[in-house]
Amino acid sequence: MNIDALIQYISDSTLIWLILTLGSFKIGIIIYERFNKHTLLQPIIISYFIIITVLFITGVSYEEYFKGVEIIHFFLGPATVALALPLYNNLKHIKSLFLPIMITLVVAGVFSILIAVLLLWVLDANMPTILSMTTKSITAPIAIITSEQIGAIPSLAVGFVLITGIIGALLGTFIFKIIKIKYDTSKGFALGVVSHGIGTARAVEISEKAAAFSALAMGLSGILTAVFLPLIIQFLKG
Amino acid sequence: MLKGIITLLVFQFLGECIVKLFDLLIPGPVIGMVLLLIFLMIRKSSFKSLDNAVFIHLRYLPMLFIPAAMGIVTQIDIISKEFWAIAIALFLGTIIALAFCAKLMDYLTIRQESKK
Repeated sequence: MNIDALIQYISDSTLIWLILTLGSFKIGIIIYERFNKHTLLQPIIISYFIIITVLFITGVSYEEYFKGVEIIHFFLGPATVALALPLYNNLKHIKSLFLPIMITLVVAGVFSILIAVLLLWVLDANMPTILSMTTKSITAPIAIITSEQIGAIPSLAVGFVLITGIIGALLGTFIFKIIKIKYDTSKGFALGVVSHGIGTARAVEISEKAAAFSALAMGLSGILTAVFLPLIIQFLKG
Repeated sequence: MLKGIITLLVFQFLGECIVKLFDLLIPGPVIGMVLLLIFLMIRKSSFKSLDNAVFIHLRYLPMLFIPAAMGIVTQIDIISKEFWAIAIALFLGTIIALAFCAKLMDYLTIRQESKK
């Protein structure tokens, strides 16, 4: 038996990081489903904690870990393209409320970025944090590639995306009740514009109509942000 | 399903090519997404193989952010220094934006309905 060769293989192999990542996500799904899909127990959050613990114990650097799981990162590209299909399937809803949808999309989309940036600015945060906050309301795959584009920190950006999604999903229905929102379409649309996929998962529980409008809002605001945000930021920097 | 996977990759490739060709600031996959959307609108339907390829990509979508998301371990400095600013901006920002967006959409919908 060659124990040394085995240890050498395990410490060099990138396979172990793939197994850890896929495995921790599977554990995340199991826990999430066991607790009736509670918003706070998103599989990725559980996965986060497992992987951070392992990296911390083994002392492996992020760069080394990333090299091992780069193949997963690659699939963000085709997955972003794949988002076209759910958007296409929900596009038929756009006709019934075309103007309200378009106006809300642009005005509320800009507003939700501005309010967060303004709060950070007032609270004296630094530029990288502020830039990473600008993609907080769009779906994570688009947020990651857009934040890379604008010189923000993608990992912070994903963190902000997840927390924004969770807060929206947890408090959405409560807020809608307080401010007396009449239509399910408005509730779904707001959840999609502000809290992307996690908000859409919540909208499914409100009604089918809310879910469709949430998916529609998520797709449209993702595209709109990815198209205009880099232009605006370059203009402001220039 | 292979045809569906090829479709996704080809549209991403086209998107990236367009970005390079026209020096755009938009991420390539987003252009690819828009092109696929236009393609579906012209074609007026999806096809089984694409449905399957999309399903496997989106089913475990959150897992695909893990490599990027774990970079958070290198950002402990920023987070600990700006924890309260970040927490307040995320919490208040989300609540205010959600209320504003829902109210605006509701207002515009009521106006449209009353015109009919």
